[in-house]
Amino acid sequence: MEIDKKKCVGCGNCHAICTMGVIYLDEDGKSAINQDECVECYTCYRVCRSEGYPPWFVRALRKVLSLFRLGYLAEMDVCPTGALTPPQLEWPRNLRALFSDPTTVHPGTGVSGRGTDEIKSNDVTGRLQEGDVGLVIEMGRPGIGAHFRDIEKVAMALAKLKPHFERANPVTQLMVNTETGKMREDILNEKVLSAIIEIKTRLDRITEFLNTLEKIQKEVDTVISVGIASRCLPDGTIPHEAWVKKAGYPLSFNGKTNIGLGRPLFQED
Amino acid sequence: MTNTLHRQGDVEHLKKDYVIFAHTAKGITRNGSGPKLQEFMRICLKYHPVNIGDGQQGSIYKDNTDIQTLIANQGDGAGAAAVFTDLDTLGKVVVDLIRADLGISINISGLLEEVQACCRKAGIERHSAEHSLGFWGAKDRLPEREVLEFNTLCGHGMVSFNFIRKMIEHVKLRRLTPKKAAKIMAKCCECGVFNPVRAEMLLEKVRKGDKVTVK
Repeated sequence: MEIDKKKCVGCGNCHAICTMGVIYLDEDGKSAINQDECVECYTCYRVCRSEGYPPWFVRALRKVLSLFRLGYLAEMDVCPTGALTPPQLEWPRNLRALFSDPTTVHPGTGVSGRGTDEIKSNDVTGRLQEGDVGLVIEMGRPGIGAHFRDIEKVAMALAKLKPHFERANPVTQLMVNTETGKMREDILNEKVLSAIIEIKTRLDRITEFLNTLEKIQKEVDTVISVGIASRCLPDGTIPHEAWVKKAGYPLSFNGKTNIGLGRPLFQED
Repeated sequence: MTNTLHRQGDVEHLKKDYVIFAHTAKGITRNGSGPKLQEFMRICLKYHPVNIGDGQQGSIYKDNTDIQTLIANQGDGAGAAAVFTDLDTLGKVVVDLIRADLGISINISGLLEEVQACCRKAGIERHSAEHSLGFWGAKDRLPEREVLEFNTLCGHGMVSFNFIRKMIEHVKLRRLTPKKAAKIMAKCCECGVFNPVRAEMLLEKVRKGDKVTVK
């Protein structure tokens, strides 16, 4: 994101809205963005609607009010002058928007948001079948963001266990080698709000994968939200529950349920 | 939408928070999904969801958004979502969706046992399920639990920690009502999974100085 300095009046409304907290007031009294840390999520631009006031008018008003020790208090979801300006992004910076702006559709998967399907369409794709387990490792979430160099560290650690990296996943598509989990060199310094490493393995390997994740989590400078999924048995039992408990990890009370209304329903061999 | 998987809160709060969403699979159910997604949204709308939307067009809390226009403009796409605050209403939505037989995948985020009971009552058994294994990594970088509970109400994390703190402060100073603050927060969430009713409830609690609990 960019801020048009000619328009900005330094009201500061966009500062708190920034998902990464990287908009600040510059020495000139106008807002500026730490471009290294901005993830191009465009939340500031979408939430702060432009009121379209001329900058001179708002600045004059602020000066007059300050004479009486009064402040200019705009509604908190507006940009009084429309100073926020989405730039034209080029590779590899456009990756930031692809992963961080939920209105953007990933070209490789056709899915917006983080671009993953997980179990959401498992009833029609059969991606996770009996005996399979899916691990969904969301790097950078909640609210911290992640660099691809950290995402690569986790991917490479897990790759040693020879999982199946989901092909229709935007992170997998940025790997130069799914055998090693190595990612493209030119993207390692790019930062995104979050990105999901999506793998499939067998239920009896859950402990092995979670133990590996437990070790590598200490080497990354971000948070990770971890999810685990499987195809239910005919009586509704969730197969991974017992395995996770056996591995010694707590499960949430809440979760996601695919209720199986998709057609044609995938039939296992 | 791993996004809706990690919603934080104690069981009592989670009982008031169910996200139902339709999802299409590329190459299988996406082509021609527009009318089906529209019907999904119409069914949800019939039961007065507290939020509704899709990742492409935004939610009903976006400025100048009319729900009928939002539905009418829904073309072939990845999906749509709606939020309900009680299981009975969710059950009615599920029954209508079964009857409508749209042929696209339907998912529900919420308390797993409750959702299973809801499915069984409607005569179906769940197909697949996903749990959260919580937050890992540099957890020392995470904010206080109250803030996390609000932040995870938006799956993509578009409601920033700083903005949540600002809203809490404004509610405490009575510059904003909890309802108004919750509505502004909901505006940050594009795909319509933020639960403004739960946010309002949490803000009311925080305003009075009660601690919000996280499981």
